[in-house]
Amino acid sequence: MQRDTPLFTEEVLQKHVKFLKRHLLLLPASHQSTDVNLMAVVFYAFESLAALGQDIATDYQSNLKWMRSNYVSQKVTDEELSGFIGGPTMNIPDTITLSLPNTLFGLLTLVLMRDMEFFDKVLNKKTLGKFVSRCQLKENGAFVSVLDYKLGKASIIDSHDLRFCYIAVAILYTIGCRTEDDFKEYIDVDSLVEFILSQRSAFGGFGAFGEAHAGYTSCALSALKLLNKLDELSSLEKEKTLQWLIDRQVTREGCWEKQDISNEYYNEDDHGGFQGRENKSADTCYAFWCVNSISILYPNLKTMLQTEPVKDHLLNRTQNTLTGGFSKCYKEDADLYHTCLGIAALKLMEGSFNGALCIPTHAAKEFDL
Amino acid sequence: MFDIEDYKDVEPLPLTQDVTNEEELCRIMYCDEYKQVMALMRRMISKDELSVRALRLNSRAIELSPAFYTAWNYRFRIIEHLLKEETQLQGEGHDASYMLNKELDWLDEFTLNNPKNYQIWSYRQALLTQLYPHATFSREHPIMDLMLDDDSKNYHVWSYRKWCCAHFKTYGQEMAFTERFIKRDVYNNSAWSYRFSMLKHSDVDLDQELQFVLDKIEYVPQNISTWNYLGGLLQMMGTSDKLVEQLLQFSKKYIDESAFAYEFYARMSKLSGTANGKDVAQMYSHIADIDPIRDQWWNRKSLQADQGK
Repeated sequence: MQRDTPLFTEEVLQKHVKFLKRHLLLLPASHQSTDVNLMAVVFYAFESLAALGQDIATDYQSNLKWMRSNYVSQKVTDEELSGFIGGPTMNIPDTITLSLPNTLFGLLTLVLMRDMEFFDKVLNKKTLGKFVSRCQLKENGAFVSVLDYKLGKASIIDSHDLRFCYIAVAILYTIGCRTEDDFKEYIDVDSLVEFILSQRSAFGGFGAFGEAHAGYTSCALSALKLLNKLDELSSLEKEKTLQWLIDRQVTREGCWEKQDISNEYYNEDDHGGFQGRENKSADTCYAFWCVNSISILYPNLKTMLQTEPVKDHLLNRTQNTLTGGFSKCYKEDADLYHTCLGIAALKLMEGSFNGALCIPTHAAKEFDL
Repeated sequence: MFDIEDYKDVEPLPLTQDVTNEEELCRIMYCDEYKQVMALMRRMISKDELSVRALRLNSRAIELSPAFYTAWNYRFRIIEHLLKEETQLQGEGHDASYMLNKELDWLDEFTLNNPKNYQIWSYRQALLTQLYPHATFSREHPIMDLMLDDDSKNYHVWSYRKWCCAHFKTYGQEMAFTERFIKRDVYNNSAWSYRFSMLKHSDVDLDQELQFVLDKIEYVPQNISTWNYLGGLLQMMGTSDKLVEQLLQFSKKYIDESAFAYEFYARMSKLSGTANGKDVAQMYSHIADIDPIRDQWWNRKSLQADQGK
C-alpha cells in the first residue's frame, strides 16, 4: 500500500540504524548474559537492518569469517553432527554445544549476508539435518533445543515446546526441505504435526497449558505452513483461530469505552496494538506474532484487519525517536528484540516481509526461500 | 561457599578468539569475574569433572550467565553423580533427599531472582522425574505461590503447575486454587484457562460451575475470559433447549455493553431457532458498530450468516 509515504523520516531511519549497529560493536559488561547466545543478537540486528534497506552483505563483509566460525561440526560416538553454537564462548573441546535456536539464527544471518558460498560449499546439510533429527523426542514428536553435551541425545533437562518445533522446521526449510519426503529424511513429520495440533487450546489459539498465547500460535502456524500442513486444521478450526487472533487487537472504541477500570492491564492508549493473551497489555512483539499468524491464515490482510491503528500504535507509542529502536510498551527503554519485531510487523503489513521465516521478502527470494 | 582458591589446579580455558578484532561482532567487555569463572567452567565442562567444587563453580557461572544452556546440563550431571555417591554412603547415615532438597532450595532462590529464565522449570522437572522419586507436590507449592504473587499471569508457572498435577497425579485442589486468583482479578485469563483445563479432572457439579461463571459475567460483562469459559462449559454440558434458552435470556441483558455478550447472544439465537440467517446477519452487523476496530471481521461473519454458513 502507501509506498509513497515511507514509515520513517530519514532522520528517524538513521537513528534506528545507529541503534542497531551499536549492538554489533563493542558491548558493555551488562550484555554478558547474551554471550552464550550471540547468534540471536546478530540476527535481530541484521534482520532489522536488512528490513530497513541497509546493505548488510557489503557493510559487514569483513565479519563473514567470524560468522562462519560459529558453524561447527561435533562428533557423537560414531556420528558427525553440525550446527551453530551460541558464540565463541560456547566452543568447548569434547563438548556438544550445538543449539537449535542459534542454528536458525546463524543460517538466516548468512542468508541476509548473501553468503551463497556457505550454503554451496561449507554447509553440510546431512550432518546438520542429523543434529535437528536428534533434537526430536520419540515419545511425542516435539523438539528440545540442545543435546546432552556428553551423550548426544535430546537433552532431558531442556523444555520441549512449540518454539523449538517451529525452529526445527524453519532450519530444515532453510537448508532446502520442501516436500514431505524431504522433511521425513530427518524428522518424524506425523508425530510433530500431532504434537503441534495437541497444543491448540479450546479457544482457538495455541499454548502450553490450555491458555492460548500469540507467540506459540505464530510458531505453530508458521511451522504448519512451512510443512505445507495447514490443512490439518479444518476450516472451522482455522476460523476460530483467526477470530482468536483478531480479538487480540486492543481498542478503546465502541463498547470498549465502558471497559471497567478495574482491569489493571487495560490502557486506552494501547489502542490499535496487539496483546499476546486475553486481558493483557499491548506489546510491540505481539504485533508481529499476531499479524504474522493472521496473514498465514488469511493472506489478504488488509480486508481482515485494520492495519493503520497497529501502525499508529507502533510508531507513536513504542517507537523511540530519540534513541532509535522500539520498546515493549510506552515509556520503557528501546531494546533489540522489540526493535526487531516492531520493524518486522511494520514491514509485514507493508507486504515486504516473509513472516514465517522472519526475514525480508527480497532476502528470502534471493535464496529461493 | 564459592572460593576461587579451590580451583588452583584447574588450567583455565580462556575466552579468546582467533580472529582479529575487526572481524568480530558483538565483542563484550567482560568483567574480570566473568572471564575468570567462565574460563574455569569451560575447562571443567570439557573434562566433565563431577564434584562438589564443580557444583559451587557452576552456581556462580549460572548466576553470571543464566542462559548458559550447557551449564544447566552440566549441573544436572553433577547432581546425578553426587547423588549416586551419597546413596552408596546411605548406610553410614547419609541422606540423599537432604541433598536434593538443598538443590531445590538453591533453585527456588535462583528462580525468584530470575523469573523470566527459560531453563529453571524444565531443569526442575528433570530433577523431580529423574532423581527424586520421593518428591512431593507440597514441596512445590511455596515457589509457585511466590512467583504468582509477583506476577499472577506468569505463563511458565501455570504451565509448571499443570505438569505437577500430572506428575503427582493430584488434582484435588486445583479448582479452589484458581478461584483464589479469579477472586483477586476476574480478568486473570491464565486462571480461567487453567480452570477450564482442570474441569475434566474435577468432580465439580457443572450446574454449579455454570452459576459460578454467570456470576462473574454479571460482575463484569465485558470480559472475554469469562465468555470464553462459558462457551467451553456449554460445549461440555451439551446444548439442551432449556440451557440454550437460559443463556439466550442471560446474554441478552448485556448486549448493549459487551460485544462478547452480543456474539454469544447471536449464537444462542441461532441455536434456539429464534433467529434465521438474516436475523443473525443483522446481529453481526450490529456488533461491528459496537466493536468498530474489528468491523471487517464482523461484516464477514454477517455475510457468512446471510449466506447460511
